[in-house]
Amino acid sequence: MEHLELFFKSIFIDNMVFATFLGMCSYLAVSKKVSTAVGLGAAVIFVLAVTVPVNWLLDQYILQPGALQWLGAEYADYDLSFLSFIMFIATIATMVQLVEIVVEKFSPSLYNSLGIFLPLIAVNCAILGGSLFMQSREIETIGLAFNYGISSGIGWFLAILAIAAIREKIRYSNVPAPLRGLGITFIITGLMAIGFMSFGGMLTGGDDEGKKQPEETAKVEKVNKKENKLAENTTTINE
Amino acid sequence: MSLKSNLHKLKEKYKGTKMAPAFNALHTFLYLPNETTHGGTHIKAADDLKRTMNTVIMALVPCLIFGMFNAGYQHHLALGDIEAANGFFGATFWTWDNLVVGLWKVLPLVIVSYGVGLAIEFLFAVIKGHEVEEGYLVTGMLVPLIVPVDLPLWMLAVAVAFGVVIGKEVFGGTGMNILNPALTIRAFLFFAYPTWMSGDKVWVHGAKERASEIAAGANVDAISGETILGSLAQGKGTMSHDWLDMFFGIIPGSVGETSTILILLGGLFLIFTKIGSWRIMLSSVIGALVMGLIFNGVVDAGWITESSKFYGLMNTEFWHHLLIGGFAFGAVFMATDPVTASQTNKGKWIYGFLIGFISILIRVFNPAYPEGVMLAILLMNVFAPTIDHYVVQGNVKKRMKRLKAKTA
Repeated sequence: MEHLELFFKSIFIDNMVFATFLGMCSYLAVSKKVSTAVGLGAAVIFVLAVTVPVNWLLDQYILQPGALQWLGAEYADYDLSFLSFIMFIATIATMVQLVEIVVEKFSPSLYNSLGIFLPLIAVNCAILGGSLFMQSREIETIGLAFNYGISSGIGWFLAILAIAAIREKIRYSNVPAPLRGLGITFIITGLMAIGFMSFGGMLTGGDDEGKKQPEETAKVEKVNKKENKLAENTTTINE
Repeated sequence: MSLKSNLHKLKEKYKGTKMAPAFNALHTFLYLPNETTHGGTHIKAADDLKRTMNTVIMALVPCLIFGMFNAGYQHHLALGDIEAANGFFGATFWTWDNLVVGLWKVLPLVIVSYGVGLAIEFLFAVIKGHEVEEGYLVTGMLVPLIVPVDLPLWMLAVAVAFGVVIGKEVFGGTGMNILNPALTIRAFLFFAYPTWMSGDKVWVHGAKERASEIAAGANVDAISGETILGSLAQGKGTMSHDWLDMFFGIIPGSVGETSTILILLGGLFLIFTKIGSWRIMLSSVIGALVMGLIFNGVVDAGWITESSKFYGLMNTEFWHHLLIGGFAFGAVFMATDPVTASQTNKGKWIYGFLIGFISILIRVFNPAYPEGVMLAILLMNVFAPTIDHYVVQGNVKKRMKRLKAKTA
C-alpha cells in the first residue's frame, strides 16, 4: 500500500515537470518529436531508477549525521552531509556515462538524435532533484527509494511524451509569429500543468480546512528550502 | 432595401480594409452570402462549421432554459416561499416567478460570455486579417452553463478573456487549441476565485448575501445550497434527494448541468446529427460505471469503514455517479469537442474510458475538488495527441506486417 501510494504520488501529484518544474531544459529542447522524446524519457527513467537508490545508500551509510557509526563508535558524531551534492553528482555523472555507452552501442540513431542532451542528463535538474527530494523527504527503505526514482522518472517521461505529441500536432497551426517555438511551448506547459492540477491535494486528506493550511505552507517551505539547496548546488558545480 | 442587402453593401464598402473581416463575419453570421465560387469544380457541403456549431447550440438550449427555471426555483425554495416540486412537472417549478429570477441571473452571464468572447475573436480576426471564426459560438454558450449562478460578471469576463486568448488564439484560433476553451475558462475561474466556484454558498442565488447578513447579525434564515457531491465529499449527510430529482435535475448545481434527462436528449440529438461522437460518450459512461463498481466493491468487501472520509462517495451507488454533478454534461458536450478529443476511432474509446474512470477517481479521492469531470477532461485533452500518435503508429505497424506477409 505504501509503495502504491508513493508510486501514484510521484507520477501524478508530485510530477517532476508540472508540480516542481524541474528538468525543463531538456523537456523543452528535446520534445519536438515523439520518438526522440521517448528515448530521452526512457534514459531519464533508467538514470533515476539507478541513482536514487545508490544515493540512498550513500546518504544512509556515509553522509547522514551519525551514518558512519557502522565503522566504529568513534565515528558516531561525524556529519558528512555537506558532501551530499558532490557525492550525488558523482553518482549521477557515472550513471549517465554508462547510459551513454549503452545507447551508443545499441541505438546509434537515438544517440545521434539526442545529441548533446544525453550527456546533459548529468546536469538535468530532475535527476539531482530526485536524489535531493529523496534525502529531504526522508524516504525510509531502499525499496521505497527505488520506487521513488522509477516513478518520478515515469512522471517525467509522461510529461515529455505528452508535450512531444502535442507539439507534433500543432506543427501546422497558425501560431502568431512571435510565439513560435519556445514561446508556445511554455504556454502549452502551463496549460498542461492545469490539467495535472486535478491530482493536486489528492491523498493528502483535506477533511479539515484548518488542518490543511499549515501543512501546505510547510510543504512550500520545504520545497523552497530544497530549491535553495538546489541553487546552492548549481553554483557549487559551476564554481 | 433589406437588412441583407445593406449588410452586403457595407461589406463591399469595407472590402480590402482592415475592418473587412468584422463586417464579413456579421454578414455570414446572419445570412448565407451571395457569392458563389468562380472556379471550376466546387463542393457544396451543408454541414459547414456554422451548421455544426448551431446544432450543438440547439442541443444546449433546453439545458439553458431549464437552468433558468431551476435557478429561480432553488432560490425561492431556499427562501421558503414555495413548496418542493415533486417531480419534473411539479406545480411550483415551471412558474413565472422562477423564470424571472432565472432570466435576471442567467441572461447576464450569457451576454457577458458572448460579448467578451466575440469581441476578442473580432479583434484577433482584424489583427490577423482573416475571416472571423465561428468557434466561439459553442464555447460562449457552454460557459454560462457550467458556472454557478451568483458568479460576479467581471470574473466571468476576465476568465473568458484568458480562455480565448491563452487557450485558443495563441494557437492560431479555432481548431488549433489543445485544451477545450470552455473548460479552460472554468478551470481558470476554479483556481483563481475558488470561493466563488466551490463550497456550499455559491450554487443558489442569494446564499452568499444571506450568509453575510447573518454574520452581520440579521435575523433571517440561512440559505444552504450545497450540491450533493459537495456534501458527500465533506462526509456529512447522506443523499437528501432521490434519484428521480437528480435525473430531472431539480437540484442545486451549476446553471445548466443539473438536468440529466435534458442532457441525455441533447446527447441523442448530437449522435443523431452525427456531430458528437457516440464512441466517446459511451466509453466515458462505461469508464465511470467501472470505477463506480470498483468503489462499491471496495465498500462491500469491507475494506473501508464508515469512519473513512472517502466512505460517503465510495458508498454512492455506482449509477448515481452518472446523475449527480456535471458528469453527464461533461461527457456529452465537453469530452466530444472534436478539436481536443482523440481523432482516431480506437483512440476515442481509450480517451472516453479514461475520462470516465479518472473523473470518478478524482471525485472520490480528492476532497479538494468534489467535481472531477472538468479536470479529468482537461487531463485527457493533454494526452489525446499521445493516444492518437500510438494508435496511428500501431496501424502503420499492422499494415507493414500485412504488406510483408503479402510480398514474402
